[in-house]
Amino acid sequence: MPIVTIDGRQIEVEPGTSVIQAADLLGVEIPRFCYHPDLEPEGNCRMCLVDVEGFPKPVVACATPVVDGMVVKTPHASPLASRAVKGVLEFLLVNHPIDCPICDKAGECSLQDFYMHPDYGQHPSQVNPGEKVHKRKRVDLGPRIVLDAERCVMCSRCVRFSENVTGYKELQFIRRGNHVELVSFQERALQDPYAGNFADICPVGALLSRDFRFKRRVWKLDYTDSICAGCSTGCNLRIDHFDGRIERLIPRRNPDVNRSWLCDEGRLSYKTLDVAPRVKHPQQDGEEADWVEVAAAADSRLRSATLGRELPLGALASASGTNETLWLFRRYVEAAFPQHLLEFRLARETEAVRERQDKLLRRVDKHPNTMGALHLGFTAGMGLEGLVDEAEAGRLGALLLLYYPPLVGEDSEETKERIVRLLQLVPESVVLTTHHLPYLAAAKILLPVAAWSEEEGTYTNYQGTVQHASRAVASPSAARPAAEVIGDLMRHATYGRPETEPGRVFAEIADRVPAFRGLRYNELASRLATAYPPEGRMPYGQDGFTGR
Amino acid sequence: MPDFLTRHIKDPGQRKLATAVQKGAYEGLRRALTMSRQEVVAEIDASGLRGRGGAGFPTGRKWSFIHAREGQSVYLLCNADESEPGTFKDHYLMAFDPHLVLEGVAIGAYAIGAHQAYIYLRGEYASVAATLGEALSEATDAGILGPNCLGSDFDLRIALQLGAGAYICGEETGLIQSLEGKRAYPRVRPPFPAVHGFLREPTVVNNVETLASAARIMAEGAEAYTKLGTKQSAGTKLISVSGAVERPGIYEVEMGYPLMEFLAHEAGGIPLGRRLKGIIPGGTSVPILTADEAAPLTIDYESMQSAGTMLGSGGMIVFDEDTRMPHALLRIAEFYAHESCGECTPCREGTGWMAWVLRRLLAGEGRPGDLELLLRVGDNIEGRTICGLGDASVQPVRSFIQKFRPEFEALEPAGMDWPAWQIHGHGPRTGRFGPPVEEAARSQPVEGSPDYVL
Ligand SMILES: Cc1cc2nc3c(=O)[nH]c(=O)nc-3n(C[C@H](O)[C@H](O)[C@H](O)COP(=O)(O)O)c2cc1C
Ligand code: SF4
Ligand code: SF4
Ligand code: SF4
Ligand code: FES
Repeated sequence: MPIVTIDGRQIEVEPGTSVIQAADLLGVEIPRFCYHPDLEPEGNCRMCLVDVEGFPKPVVACATPVVDGMVVKTPHASPLASRAVKGVLEFLLVNHPIDCPICDKAGECSLQDFYMHPDYGQHPSQVNPGEKVHKRKRVDLGPRIVLDAERCVMCSRCVRFSENVTGYKELQFIRRGNHVELVSFQERALQDPYAGNFADICPVGALLSRDFRFKRRVWKLDYTDSICAGCSTGCNLRIDHFDGRIERLIPRRNPDVNRSWLCDEGRLSYKTLDVAPRVKHPQQDGEEADWVEVAAAADSRLRSATLGRELPLGALASASGTNETLWLFRRYVEAAFPQHLLEFRLARETEAVRERQDKLLRRVDKHPNTMGALHLGFTAGMGLEGLVDEAEAGRLGALLLLYYPPLVGEDSEETKERIVRLLQLVPESVVLTTHHLPYLAAAKILLPVAAWSEEEGTYTNYQGTVQHASRAVASPSAARPAAEVIGDLMRHATYGRPETEPGRVFAEIADRVPAFRGLRYNELASRLATAYPPEGRMPYGQDGFTGR
Repeated sequence: MPDFLTRHIKDPGQRKLATAVQKGAYEGLRRALTMSRQEVVAEIDASGLRGRGGAGFPTGRKWSFIHAREGQSVYLLCNADESEPGTFKDHYLMAFDPHLVLEGVAIGAYAIGAHQAYIYLRGEYASVAATLGEALSEATDAGILGPNCLGSDFDLRIALQLGAGAYICGEETGLIQSLEGKRAYPRVRPPFPAVHGFLREPTVVNNVETLASAARIMAEGAEAYTKLGTKQSAGTKLISVSGAVERPGIYEVEMGYPLMEFLAHEAGGIPLGRRLKGIIPGGTSVPILTADEAAPLTIDYESMQSAGTMLGSGGMIVFDEDTRMPHALLRIAEFYAHESCGECTPCREGTGWMAWVLRRLLAGEGRPGDLELLLRVGDNIEGRTICGLGDASVQPVRSFIQKFRPEFEALEPAGMDWPAWQIHGHGPRTGRFGPPVEEAARSQPVEGSPDYVL
């Protein structure tokens, strides 16, 4: 395999690797606009010029394959390359509006960052604002994206994404020379269900997320790594939040799962958390109750309704719970209720878990942890439908339900009706959930649990990959992570003092469940979402999603 | 004057197949078809023919790069986009001897194993399209082209594609993109068209004159060609001369012919007895020559190269002493700014910037340091672009300023270095600086320039 030397450091790479990829592997920064690890290289911005020994003039690192023995010098080591790159950056700013103070990209803008770097920028300006070519400042590209054509650096990342990744082919350049301008097909709104990605891959503030625009300066945001819980794909994402509120979700690169993309529904899934009112306090028979009382009551009422009457407990935990939650749920049910029906299916989860909704990311199963449930010993069983049948036949003593409303889409009317029916039929019911939903209103005891983004834990995606999500924001009022709530129930069932801290629960799972064997909780976060480039974070956010 | 290429071009009826065939049209193709492909490539290689599109790359070598793998199609694209300012020779060939061009295309296609060829014709040459189209259907009907060319087992389809009026479509990868129905954004090389060309298949792009010459070479033999011209520049070249000459037009000259003799005899000298000021020898993309520099040169690749310029496309533009060089340069710079495709940063922004600075200099609103700025911008474009247009745009700017500097300096406001705050960030400057435009730009004969009264 070819060995290349970049700024005095050597690395052996796969044949066909480009110089910029080799540099990324080494952690040597090469500035770039048009290169993106998940798009075909096009070599148009010329920002990645490097000095290669034996070449008469600088070459573009993104479109030059490594050959064995190549000696490359980046702008950090070569005055020639630095001069070339500075020239390119100066050109990029000739007609740039430089409206950073009002630009939403400011703070994570490649153009800004590169200009501030002494090896690439910091030239004095030679151009008057009055001499610049002006273009359209606010182009409506539909519900997701707004374009400021003046800020565009013509890197064509968006064009290539539209053409090669989603195939919608909705963006193209028109005109020539410094009048080149990005337009959408027939100036229409973008139809792409992945349009949100344009705002991430745009290295400057040209394509902006309509949702995030004018919301918050990016340097005020806190960042938390998480996993999308919108469907069984489990795209890796980052939750950007401020003062306990989620401001946006952006993808983290994971070549094995979602590359650098998110679907729009997943990207906006955090908004569905606000659609219905949250359950803020535990409720018993319609009255607000406090946790200590209600946990004791829940456990004893469930047990007397089942053990006393020799009827089984119907226990259904939807596959939106984390592995840790599901594991404790199962342990509680199995230990405290000799007769039980342990279920997780609300509808067709097991059939749909791998079924694609489109060619890129989305899957039909809108539960993030169907595979986890299966691995943890939940079976396809009778599902919600079967429990309703049992209840109708009078063969169900009580119901324990862990239910999360889907983050993408809604459960079918049929599913909702079944839940209503079930709650009507069983004499006792304890429901752990996040929101006040009409179809849960008949629950005898309602226990508020943390929603996605409010708790830490792991999900197993359709591929069987276990992925870690951190806690980003706090739950409202008295809501607590479901694992803790189940832990309380277990305590009352005198099952001992179970561990509910996700790391410890995970260790137990890894110890006892084959599918998890060998996994270590604190290695999950780094094992997944391979940082790009692998060695450390790119300091200048030029890949469009690592942020600052 | 030699008439290797243009022997019959003025004959009446030459556009008609019957007349052309009487005069020997398609004899070259007939001969080529009796030879193997490799032999044809070798014969063209031996003739020393070099590309007439501008770069002068040896044609035989280019053809020999084609190695099609099993299942690959090969394409020959005839570059008839002729948009280089000052160049109008391909038009002449296509409009008056279309069968020669078609014969060249067929020979090129045969030599590289292509069964499909395209002639990419400049959009503004719509009338030529009719001529070529007629010639094509006549030759196809006669069984010369199409399936089983001239009764051989070689099949060839030739199609005509009209451009829509963009210089960049003449750049070979821009042409390929355009032909594929895409925006003519040139491609980064490598991979070269010989590997990844039209539809990602092995492709050769050749200029019209190159292919026409190949047709004549196949008819007359490589030796007839090498007898003409110089060691490194075999054969003849079409020169399209325009500007300050008595007889602008298209001339076939033997390579190695003295430039001044050509100006005096063929082009008829400079009108009104004016003196020569400069010559752009090969289209605006090559550096201009002063009268001094031009004097000892001959029309061929190596002589032009020795003077730091290029024979290019043979589009010769002559400037007399009355020409205001800054004005001329602005026209050229605006052409490149307008025609830059806008794909890569240095050319997209740099060409526009150079034109802008020249415009303000000529409007009397120049700033101290503007000439240095122009040269610096040029340096930052050159060698850093995807295609040759960027480099091309720099050649006139640099050479005009270097060689006619006093005229440009007269436009630049003198001396004083302005504090940065006065220059930057205060909107467009409206005051006039430096001498009034008219006065500054009226050219003075450059000191010590010889009296070439032609
Ligand atoms: C900006 C630009 C414009 C060009 N325009 C033309 C053209 O109009 N006609 C042409 O034959 N070659 C043109 N060329 C040269 C072609 O890229 C290519 O080198 C040529 O067609 C090869 O043919 P040849 O080998 O027969 O010369 C142009 C090159 C550049 C960089
Ligand atoms: S795109 Fe970047 S440089 Fe341009 S205005 Fe926005 S933050 Fe500033
Ligand atoms: S809008 Fe953004 S991503 Fe698209 S070409 Fe312009 S700078 Fe690149
Ligand atoms: S050099 Fe100019 S014409 Fe060529 S690709 Fe770049 S922008 Fe386009
Ligand atoms: S040219 Fe290499 S990153 Fe744009």
